[in-house]
Amino acid sequence: MSVRHLTSTACSLTTAALIVCTGLSACDHRMTSQTAEPVAPPPAVADASHVAAGGLVPAGGTLTNPHQGDKAVAASGAQMFTAMNCDGCHGPGASGAVGPNLGDGRWRYGGSDAEVFQSIYYGRPKGMPAFGGALGANGVWVLVTYLRSLPPPPNIPTESWE
Amino acid sequence: MPPLSAVPLASVLLLTLGAAAHGASPDAHSSDDGQWTMPSRDYAATRYSPLTDITARNAAGLHPVWSFATGVLAGHEGQPLVVGDTMYVVTPWPNVLYAFDLSKEGYPLRWKYRPDVSPNAIGVSCCDTVNRGASYADGKVVYNLLDGHTVAVDAKTGRELWNTQIADVGSGETVTMAPLVVKDRVIVGASGGEFGIYGWVKALDLKSGALVWTGRNIGPDADMLAKSGEFKPQYDSGADLGVSSWNKDGWRTGGAPVWGWMSYDPDLDLVYYGTGNAGPYNAEQRPGDNKWTASVLARRPQDGTLVWAYQFTPHDNWDFDATGAMVLADLTVAGKPVKALVHFDKNGFAYTLERATGKLLVAEPFVKVNWATSVDLKSGRPVLDPDKQTGASRGTVKGICPCLEGAVSPASPPAYSPRTHLFYTSTNNLCMDYTAVPATYLKGTPFMGINSPYMAGPGGHLGTFMAWDAATGKKVWENKEAFPNWSGALVTAGDVAFYGTLDGWFKSVDARTGKVLSKFKVGSGVVGNPMTYRAPDGKQYVAVYAGIGGDWLLLAGDFRSDDPSDVRAPADFVKDLARHTSQGGMIWIFGL
Repeated sequence: MSVRHLTSTACSLTTAALIVCTGLSACDHRMTSQTAEPVAPPPAVADASHVAAGGLVPAGGTLTNPHQGDKAVAASGAQMFTAMNCDGCHGPGASGAVGPNLGDGRWRYGGSDAEVFQSIYYGRPKGMPAFGGALGANGVWVLVTYLRSLPPPPNIPTESWE
Repeated sequence: MPPLSAVPLASVLLLTLGAAAHGASPDAHSSDDGQWTMPSRDYAATRYSPLTDITARNAAGLHPVWSFATGVLAGHEGQPLVVGDTMYVVTPWPNVLYAFDLSKEGYPLRWKYRPDVSPNAIGVSCCDTVNRGASYADGKVVYNLLDGHTVAVDAKTGRELWNTQIADVGSGETVTMAPLVVKDRVIVGASGGEFGIYGWVKALDLKSGALVWTGRNIGPDADMLAKSGEFKPQYDSGADLGVSSWNKDGWRTGGAPVWGWMSYDPDLDLVYYGTGNAGPYNAEQRPGDNKWTASVLARRPQDGTLVWAYQFTPHDNWDFDATGAMVLADLTVAGKPVKALVHFDKNGFAYTLERATGKLLVAEPFVKVNWATSVDLKSGRPVLDPDKQTGASRGTVKGICPCLEGAVSPASPPAYSPRTHLFYTSTNNLCMDYTAVPATYLKGTPFMGINSPYMAGPGGHLGTFMAWDAATGKKVWENKEAFPNWSGALVTAGDVAFYGTLDGWFKSVDARTGKVLSKFKVGSGVVGNPMTYRAPDGKQYVAVYAGIGGDWLLLAGDFRSDDPSDVRAPADFVKDLARHTSQGGMIWIFGL
């Protein structure tokens, strides 16, 4: 599970940082009393993909959607999208209103099942509320299943009037 | 006696304060000091300026003399203030306040004030992160922050004097309106008609920012500050109308936000403002008139006492907010002088009321209207078309006019000239289909239940700018515009009216005929309100914001260029809009 994975990565980073920090004063002390010994190397990063650019959270990895591809669940997710007032911001059919279009195949915070789960469960900056408390993990997965069932239109970056 | 007896007194007072703030000496010899110190210029909310440098004869020579990018992309509603030799501009979220020194070349900033405004408010804003401007009083610039705070800033130094939380973002309240300062009261209200708020107005003490009173717009008399013997609605009687006109508890999440403009009559000592829609949009969840949503309320500024109220749209089931301006004008109606209140409603009727009592005198449609056939002047109630009533059990109701954007947006206030005796306003020529569905109240999330596509009204054009005779309820002239018209109006004693268009033209027109005298493409669609002032160089200038947004952020998302992860097809009813405009907040100043 990616949540566990992330947590353990964060922990090991934190632990390593702590060792380095506390180690510095210890090193200082040791270096005065002993001959110079190399300072501990910076913590190793096991997988470069765990460091995400641009302040995004790391990729969701192995967090899996229990309802992936289930059309009946997607249909109930469509109802939930209205019932939980998602459409109030994201528009009917998730086509965008004051909140972004969620059916255009483009994602501000990533479009994998796990990333969409994170966005709904924990919320996002600038206005996306955290619905995890209201919906529970399974409710969020139902919504994810609906949103991921929307067939993204072909990605045509051009809008032309001629 | 001038038609608006309140204006000179207020101007003299503000002239003194403005001069004290900056040691400026605005032209004391003219009939006006050339300042613009409150959102709608005067307490009567006329947006009329007595300045006469710019006339219908010379307006063709108007050209831009200065511009400034605000650095903010959201919809730039509202208008600048000019006090003494300083121009004050409030941006949309994050609600930066700029103070420009008009006495120096290039208008450099004296200071800017950057409050700490929570980004959480962005997600609780129904319709973009707009702000409708500031008020100046007693050396302070007072305005609202999106995240539910009112601030007072020292007009000279830019230092924050007080900062009071007035609204709760967590329960769906944000603040976009411009406060009105009456004596030592700062009167404010909250947006949130799409979030099931329990709507209110509040008064803060101008000196300290302390909360003085809160008056609800719906609910029990005690909450509404409706006192027996003092509250006298013209067409209703009985106690607790704000409860009895709802189903059980419906009023608790019934909306009635306050996001438009306020006016004040010093002789009657009444503050007037309109309330927004009832929530949710599926009206079958709240049977009854739903008082006092979609209404005008008149209160005493000192303690908030409710004196009268009139409901334009009982049992609102079309999102017909009545938050548009209540303009106070002394008119002659049917041969009799009347202290009138004039209001262009989203519902498509223009109303002329007696402002001491709320008695209805004139109500005539100013665009195509079909949800009601007329308004009965005896009962004050609209005569409904049963086929255009909405609700979840009715499925999709087709072809309702006007659409829920309103026959005019309340964000686009009118102007009134005591010289032409005409009102000037933008309009929208739009109709809609309306599909209501049951909505769930979840605190802090949208409480709506609606899908409503729009289409052009008769004629195919989508908007106009028009002149209206409120004494008779008749249109005098109109300029058709390709797109819905979303700017406020300005009119001057030079008999020139000003407005902007959604595709980014700023126009001056002859106030008597509508003939276009000048136009200039300001770089982004105009949803703000033009204003005029006399600068320290002695000349008259006109200022306006460019910066499309507000509802257009929701409706025509293809005009955006700032978010690569949000692409949308053009809206069916304004397919061409993004061809002519993109976002971009700018302040423009025009001169001769």
